[in-house]
Amino acid sequence: MKMADGSTILRRNRPGTKSKVSPHNIHTHIACEIANNSTTKQDFCRWPDEPLEEMDSTLAVQQYIQQLIKRDPSNVELILTMPEAQDEGVWKYEHLRQFCMELNGLAVRLQKQCSPSTCTQMTATDQWIFLCAAHKTPKECPAIDYTRHTLDGAACLLNSNKYFPSSVQLTTTHRVSIKESSVTKLGSVCRRVYRIFSHAYFHHRRIFDEFEAETYLCHRFTHFVTKYNLMSKENLIVPINEDENAAPGESEA
Amino acid sequence: MGTNSGATAGINNKPVGGAAVLGVGVVTNSSIGGNVLSNSLGAGGGLSISGLGGQNANVGGIVSNMGGGGNNGGGNDDSGNGGMGGNPGGGGGPNNQQATTPQYTIPGILHFIQHEWSRFELERSQWDVDRAELQARIAMLLGERKCLESLKSDLTRRIKMLEYALRQERAKFYRLKYGTDPPQLNEFKPSSNDDGGLGGDVATDSEVPYSSVSNTTWRQGRQMLRQYLAEIGYTDNIIDVRSNRVRSILGLNNNADHDGVGGGGIGGGCGSGSGSGGGGENLSPNINGNESNKRASESEGRHTPAKKVQQSNDAIILDTEAAVMANFEFLGPTEMSDDDEISDDLEMVATDNEDSDVKMAKRPKSGKDMLTEDLEAEVGEQLLNDMNLMTEEVDGSLGLGELAQLTVNNDSDGAYDANAKDGTGGSAGGAGYRKTWNAKYTLRSHFDGVRSLIFHPEEPVLITASEDNTLKLWNLQKTVQAKKSASLDVEPLYTFRAHTGPVLCLGMSSNGETCYSGGLDGNIECWQLPSPNIDPYDCYDPNVHSGTLEGHTDAVWGLTTMQNNIVSCSADGTVKLWSPYTKEPLLRTYTAAEAEGGPSSVDFVRNEVDHIVVAYNSAHCIIYDTETGKQVIKLEATQEMSGNTGKFINKVVSHPTLPITITAHEDRHIRFWDNTSGTLVHSMVAHLEPVTSLAVDAHGLYLLSGSHDCSIRLWNLDNKTCVQEITAHRKKFDESIFDVAFHATKPYIASAGADGLAKVFV
Repeated sequence: MKMADGSTILRRNRPGTKSKVSPHNIHTHIACEIANNSTTKQDFCRWPDEPLEEMDSTLAVQQYIQQLIKRDPSNVELILTMPEAQDEGVWKYEHLRQFCMELNGLAVRLQKQCSPSTCTQMTATDQWIFLCAAHKTPKECPAIDYTRHTLDGAACLLNSNKYFPSSVQLTTTHRVSIKESSVTKLGSVCRRVYRIFSHAYFHHRRIFDEFEAETYLCHRFTHFVTKYNLMSKENLIVPINEDENAAPGESEA
Repeated sequence: MGTNSGATAGINNKPVGGAAVLGVGVVTNSSIGGNVLSNSLGAGGGLSISGLGGQNANVGGIVSNMGGGGNNGGGNDDSGNGGMGGNPGGGGGPNNQQATTPQYTIPGILHFIQHEWSRFELERSQWDVDRAELQARIAMLLGERKCLESLKSDLTRRIKMLEYALRQERAKFYRLKYGTDPPQLNEFKPSSNDDGGLGGDVATDSEVPYSSVSNTTWRQGRQMLRQYLAEIGYTDNIIDVRSNRVRSILGLNNNADHDGVGGGGIGGGCGSGSGSGGGGENLSPNINGNESNKRASESEGRHTPAKKVQQSNDAIILDTEAAVMANFEFLGPTEMSDDDEISDDLEMVATDNEDSDVKMAKRPKSGKDMLTEDLEAEVGEQLLNDMNLMTEEVDGSLGLGELAQLTVNNDSDGAYDANAKDGTGGSAGGAGYRKTWNAKYTLRSHFDGVRSLIFHPEEPVLITASEDNTLKLWNLQKTVQAKKSASLDVEPLYTFRAHTGPVLCLGMSSNGETCYSGGLDGNIECWQLPSPNIDPYDCYDPNVHSGTLEGHTDAVWGLTTMQNNIVSCSADGTVKLWSPYTKEPLLRTYTAAEAEGGPSSVDFVRNEVDHIVVAYNSAHCIIYDTETGKQVIKLEATQEMSGNTGKFINKVVSHPTLPITITAHEDRHIRFWDNTSGTLVHSMVAHLEPVTSLAVDAHGLYLLSGSHDCSIRLWNLDNKTCVQEITAHRKKFDESIFDVAFHATKPYIASAGADGLAKVFV
């Protein structure tokens, strides 16, 4: 029983938790949270960071990544820095899950503007029309369908017990590895979801910019696939690479 | 097994023997072949017959030993390898004499065949062992099934008994109330009830308010029960058998091994099967598992009651009644104390009656025959389950303290070995025949914790809401067989995207056409449910998202529906009543005093129109009248709740039929409140960690709770005991289970967890 133990931090979002970042300083907030032991309101997920090695939860890697993102989404370099003793397959896998999850946000925005009548095909530049791989025979889906199908398909694949058994998804140690054949799947998921970025960038620039300013998601994604060699350079058509050259200095700051 | 291997050895000898004949010529070669190898080859070479015999003996040894199979196998392999190793060496000789290719020498082939043969033999013996094991298992399961069946018929019999008593009591009541005989109810001719009459009967029942079941009528009912017992000749014998059975259920004479369980169970079953036959006399044949014996004794039992009835005298009957009353002791206390609970019991039986209407209509004319008639009625699982729980109450010894229950260590499917554990023997023994819920479907497709889930009112369809900002629609009939496991994976049919933050709560309209979701973004989104047979990769239909209810300025944490209205509570401190799809959807806003803090959960009061109950951070609940917006009553108990540290309410639900509110607390308690007086009725430690979620089944008989201790627990609302505990989810940070749900009409329960999974149990 952890109750009545002033020093115990319980990382929970209780019903009634406010969503907004509290106006007063986070640290005082936490202090008061600890003192009053959970009776005060806490903002959603606004709890002190927990070091990875102290996470005894089975979802440690996901927790760790989300914690880094929550702290500062713009610090791409730090978010992508793999902890020591971490299996690279699991690390890549967990990151890709996080990307697909956050891409839902972009899809929500696109749904409002990108309709089958305006974007009849999934295109970025005029060079390619992307076919939707969610169907038995790849299909020329409208862009919004492509987006939804790709994200749904990725969700199924990344949660598939066959390719990523739950012993991997929910591993207690950080060293459980993913089999090689499944790791190769990550590459194709990356290629497909990247097209959502590129479509948004070339056709719905305003949405893309807004989303990017908030999440740095495309930035992080580009960095991710480059770092782990999941996509070839020439496929990365959203011009973020240039920014990225300047980015290291920025992110170290 | 011994005979088997012997036979196979015989068969296998033929080809090998043939090879051996060939080998004879070669033996010289091999002995010439190499000194080093001579030993192994010699063994093999003595081979032609005796060597083989040796091998046979080896294999036989393995088979008979069975346990030592591994060791022997190792030995065999080694010798086999040695033999094979002889190939190149022996090959040197034959090369000169014969034109065969160097790598295929006769001794080599011979050895190889021998080796292979012994290997096959070994495998074969292993298969035999497996088969024997499986057969044993089949036998065990058959025994288990038989025992369950007899239990079922026993319980059905009891149901009938209660039904009959109820019917009589109703007739009496009717007579008292209207002064005339009920149209078609006749004590001795229950069969004269046709379906229509029954329908009317049930209807009357639902019209009668609970309070009308007074003590006097109940006493009459008891009188009827006594009369009834006299009729059927419920004698000492049956009570003996029954107590035997009870003991067996309690696991007192129950060993953990299969025989013990089977025997005990069947012994219990015998009590039911034989009606009035002597307990001992029936027990012995049944333990043998001999079906025909059982049948015989059963039919024997059928004739005896008729005789006994004639002999029956009042003294016996009184004894019997006392004993039965002792058995059904839950009738006793309730009679004394609480009319509501009695009516609840009766209500339960009454609703069950509806299920078995048809069967009742077919009931034979005489009450005597009725009992002895084969009662293999198709009674729904629900019914059985209910009755099981009643028996559990009868067992009485389940009065474990609350904390004792906390230690119930449910090895979810290990009903048998749980018997060994002290203190849990009673419930675990019960688990042997009670319906237990098992995980069947795993819903994996969310990237982050599943905050809420809700079932369609009729279809095997559910919706989950997740912190990954999406909702997903699942059809349990569209499954993918997961590898190597009994559970099925379900793939989502549709993904609802509109929230820009985690989705926290769900509601569904009573017709199952519309669904509402509240999110951290402060919006309530309205959705038209796509067909449950939609192609998951169909075109995007923007009309699925049919509207947004804007008004809350902070996270929406609670949402519930009633008819066309929904009520929501939010971290902005308000509770709002909405009527979606109208011009002005927001009907009213309820705000509590500052001291109460923000609302954490909300529900409609189900047995009272226009009332809602809201849980506040102060750990108080307030019931509002939705029309006037006035506070009706505040649920608080000063003593119990003093020092509200950690008493925070995570979830509030209203009982579907009774004026009771149930709250789930951060301090691991579940509390029950009386809506009319505002007082605390019952409080219990329910989990090892904060209780996060609650659900009551449509009949109001069971409560399901989920907790951050990773488990869900099913509670019998009658006696507030834990019926089953299932460990369902894993932790993410310090959170585990977010929501639990009952299907309104189908036997499904579900849980949603921080690990991104939802699970459905059947």
